[in-house]
Amino acid sequence: MNSKERVLKTLQFEEPDRVPITELDVDVPLMEAITGDSFPYAVSLQTPIITDRSLERKRVDLKLKCYRKIGFDLFPIDLSTPDGWKPRSDPEENMIDLWGRVMKLDKTTKAWVPYSTVFTEPEDYDGFEMPDPEAPGWTFALEHAKKEIAGECALASFIRDPFAHAWEIFTPMKFVLWMHREPGFIRRVIEDITDFNIAIIKQVTEVGVDLVISGGDYCDAKGPMVPTAFFREVIFPNLKKQEEAARRADVKFIKHTDGNINQLLVDLAGIVDGLHSLDPSASVDIGKIKKEYGDRLVLIGNISVDNLAVKGRSDIRDEVRNCIKIASPGGGHILSSSNSWAAGAKLENCLTLVETGRKYGIYPIRL
Amino acid sequence: MSNELLELIMGQSDADEIRHWIENELKNKKDPQMIVDALSRTLMEVGERYEKGELFLSDLMMIGYQASEVAKQLKPHIAKKRTGKRGKIVIGTVGGDIHDIGKNTVIMMLQADGWDVLDLGVDVPAEKFVKAVKEEKPNVLGLSALLTSTMNEMKTVIEALEKNGLREKVKVIVGGRPVTRKISKEIGADGYAEDSVAAIRVVREVTSKRRRVP
Repeated sequence: MNSKERVLKTLQFEEPDRVPITELDVDVPLMEAITGDSFPYAVSLQTPIITDRSLERKRVDLKLKCYRKIGFDLFPIDLSTPDGWKPRSDPEENMIDLWGRVMKLDKTTKAWVPYSTVFTEPEDYDGFEMPDPEAPGWTFALEHAKKEIAGECALASFIRDPFAHAWEIFTPMKFVLWMHREPGFIRRVIEDITDFNIAIIKQVTEVGVDLVISGGDYCDAKGPMVPTAFFREVIFPNLKKQEEAARRADVKFIKHTDGNINQLLVDLAGIVDGLHSLDPSASVDIGKIKKEYGDRLVLIGNISVDNLAVKGRSDIRDEVRNCIKIASPGGGHILSSSNSWAAGAKLENCLTLVETGRKYGIYPIRL
Repeated sequence: MSNELLELIMGQSDADEIRHWIENELKNKKDPQMIVDALSRTLMEVGERYEKGELFLSDLMMIGYQASEVAKQLKPHIAKKRTGKRGKIVIGTVGGDIHDIGKNTVIMMLQADGWDVLDLGVDVPAEKFVKAVKEEKPNVLGLSALLTSTMNEMKTVIEALEKNGLREKVKVIVGGRPVTRKISKEIGADGYAEDSVAAIRVVREVTSKRRRVP
C-alpha cells in the first residue's frame, strides 16, 4: 500500500496498513536541517509572497525532499502568487501582501508574519483592489507538486479561511472594533473572501487534489475568539459554502484550527469532513472526539507542539502511543503534531513522533 | 457608579455613550480618581467573567479598548488632581519574536487599570530592556513571546538585568502562548500571566509584595 492509498482509505474511515503520518507544514530552518539543503528566502504561512517562479519551484522542491525523507503520507501545499503580481514595501521595509496585510520578517523562523494593515477605516476596503481568483498562477506550486509526486502520496491544497483572512488583513483589534460597530461590513468581507475561496477550490480540484485543508484559527486556548453567535450567523454558513464547493468535486474538506474548539465541535461536525490540530494543550480531548464524532470526522493530530519543543523523546513516545491507542482504531486518523513542525521544536522529538507512529500505528492497533 | 460603568463597558456600549457618561460624572464634580477606581473594579469583574468562559477573546479586546479610552479621557483630570498613577510598567516582545497581539491587549488593560505603560515594541533585544529599566525605573518589566523558540530570550533578558545589577530593582512578569507557570519559575521571573486580565492581577500582586532583600 503506498502513501496515497493509505491516506485515501483513512479518509473513508477504513483501516489501511498503518496510520498515515504528515505535518501541515515544516518551518524552513527545520527543513534545511532535515534535507541538508538551504533555502535563503523567507516564506509565509499566511499568504503567497514568492513571485519568482524558479524560487517558488525551489520552495516546493525543498518541502517535497523533506517530506520524502521523513516519509510523510500526505503533502499539503498552499497557493502561489498570481502571475505578474509584485509585492509593495512600506517605508520601514515591511512587505504589503495581496490582501493588504503589512508583513514583518521574523528572522528566527525565516517567515513573513502579519504585523499591521493598510486599512485605516472600513471605507478603505472599497478602494482596495482585492486579488482576482481567476488570474492565472494561483495553482503554480500545486501543479508542480502534483507532477513531482505522481501519485506516490496524497496531495492537499491548503487555503486560508475567510474569517482568519479578515482577522489578519484588518489586524485583530480593527476586526473586533468593526465587528462591533459595522457588523454588516465584516460580514460582507467574509462573504467576498468566501467567493474568492470557492473559485480557488474549483481550480485546485480541477488540478486534482485528494483533499482541501482550510487554515486559520477559530479559537485561542480558552475557546472561540469571537462569540459563538457570530460563528453561527456569519462564519459557519460561509464555511459550509466552501465545503459544498469541495464536495461538488468529490474532495474532502478539512478545517484546521488551533485552540480550544470544544464549544464549536457540534457545529463543525455538521459542516466539515475532518479537523486538524485538536490541540491537547488547549484542553481538546481527541479520545472524546473520536467517541462522539469518529464515524464522520477525520481527525488529524494531536501531538502537542509545545511538548515537541520542551519535552524529551520518551515523553513524545508515550504521547504518540496514547494518541494512536485512542484515535487510530477504525481508521479516520492521520497522525501529526497539533500545528506544524515549528522552528522551536526539537528535531529529535519530531523524528521520534514519526518513528513511534510507524512502530505502533500498524493495523490492527494492538496498544 | 461602579455598576453603571460596569454595565456600560460590559454592554460594549458605543464609545460616545461612555464618553458622555464620564463627562457628566465630571460635570457633577465626581472625583476622577473614583471613576478610575470603578474602572479597575470593572476590569477585575471582566477578568473573572473571562476566566469562567463567559466572555470571548473579542469581548475582552473590545472591553480593553473601551477601558483604555476611558483611562485616556480621565488622564488630564487625574494629572490636575495630582493623584498620580499606580506606577510604571515597561513592556515588550522579546528579541527574535515579532508578535504583538497579546502584548497590545495587555497594554490596553494595564493602562485602563491606571498604570503608566511604556511599550518597547517587538523584537526587543535584551540590551534595550536593560536600558529602559535603567532610565525609566519601572515597577514592573513585562516580557512577551509567542514562539516557543524565543522563550529562552526571556531568560537572557533576566540574566542581563542581573548582570547589570538591576534585577532587584524591578519585578519581571512573563506571558505568551508557550509560557507556563513552571517555565516562568525556571527562568527566574517574579510572575506569570496567561492572558491580559491575569496580567492586571499579577502586576498588582508583584507590586504589593516587598522587594526582595539581596
